Amino acid sequence: EFLATPTIPPTTDPPNHAVESNVYNVASLVARNSSQMVVHSLHIFDRKGKTLFSKTYSKAAAIGQQQLRQTSQGPAEEDPVDEQRKLVFGMLFSLRELVGSLAPEGEKGGLHSIRTGASTLHNYETLSGVRFAMYTTNDVGGADASSSSRRSSAAAESNVSVRDALRHIYTELWVESVIKSPLYRPGEMSTVGQRSSGSGGGDAFDIRSTNFEKKLDSFLQSMPWFR
Amino acid sequence: MAPLHLFIVNKSGGLIHHRPLGPKAPQIGTNEWLRIGSTFHSLHAIAAEASPVRLPGNKNPYGADDGIEFIEAGGLVLCCLQTRTGVKFVVTAEPGTPELDLMLREIYVLYSDCALKDPFYELEMPIRTDLFTSAVDALLEQLESRNTKSSADRPIVRF
Repeated sequence: EFLATPTIPPTTDPPNHAVESNVYNVASLVARNSSQMVVHSLHIFDRKGKTLFSKTYSKAAAIGQQQLRQTSQGPAEEDPVDEQRKLVFGMLFSLRELVGSLAPEGEKGGLHSIRTGASTLHNYETLSGVRFAMYTTNDVGGADASSSSRRSSAAAESNVSVRDALRHIYTELWVESVIKSPLYRPGEMSTVGQRSSGSGGGDAFDIRSTNFEKKLDSFLQSMPWFR
Repeated sequence: MAPLHLFIVNKSGGLIHHRPLGPKAPQIGTNEWLRIGSTFHSLHAIAAEASPVRLPGNKNPYGADDGIEFIEAGGLVLCCLQTRTGVKFVVTAEPGTPELDLMLREIYVLYSDCALKDPFYELEMPIRTDLFTSAVDALLEQLESRNTKSSADRPIVRF
């Protein structure tokens, strides 16, 4: 007698989550609860500023990118989204110098997060100079002005958890999938936005040949704060 | 748990005031302060542009242009208040220092009371008013005693 094996429901996420395979749809289930964060995008830069990986998750960020392309007035070959990524890298680079000169003696001035009114940028930089930069919404742990200290400690906690996630993405996903790939050659990675016009581009290591993106997506979806 | 530096940048990016706020503040020369002020001014605006989503009209709820509000780094936090006129009040502190945004708003009030109402003060020029300096000293003392007494309902008494 064949007994149907019971399906084991996912332990962490709500039921409709398992059905969605399209990341955009999952990310667009923006929580009604305003204290939950939404991940906008993730960028990975090498030490020279080239984009190794970039992905947009939230609907708002995708719309922003579209608007950027439509309203850009620059020359036709320059992708405005590319330019925006260069801005992100430049900002991370310069701000690291800035906080380095402002920090007290004996403190390593590594840049952790930058918050503006529109979003928060979380940054994790490795010893080899690879930067993992993730844009999220601002975590609002209570909009009451008198509880600003409580709000800032709640925000600080969630910033730490995003930073832990970025470190996990580096150590468990990036190193395992990309660096340890037998095809990997340091210094010859194909970069995002580069027109592969045959300048040795055929030998460059393409991240799409690994399963980094799939692993990244499933890791992010398993995070309780990723919506 | 202590504030480190205060600096104020005018709307063109020039530094108009800088001072240490505590004993642990690192020594920074004047030239480097000028460089820090103008670098921060540009990066403040770049941060809003680099963001994947933007506020409507790029204005935050206070009516000022959106930009960097808070930076967390190893061993340092930085809090910035940009006013509608483009003046930026920036304070750096050790991580965990409470009520930095409150401090900045109070310093903004002191700026408008001491510097702007000074008949000899020229707009966008460096602030050399003694009244402003002593008022900021008094504010720091009050905030410090407020935090050590942990009496949250004690009002900020201005000079």
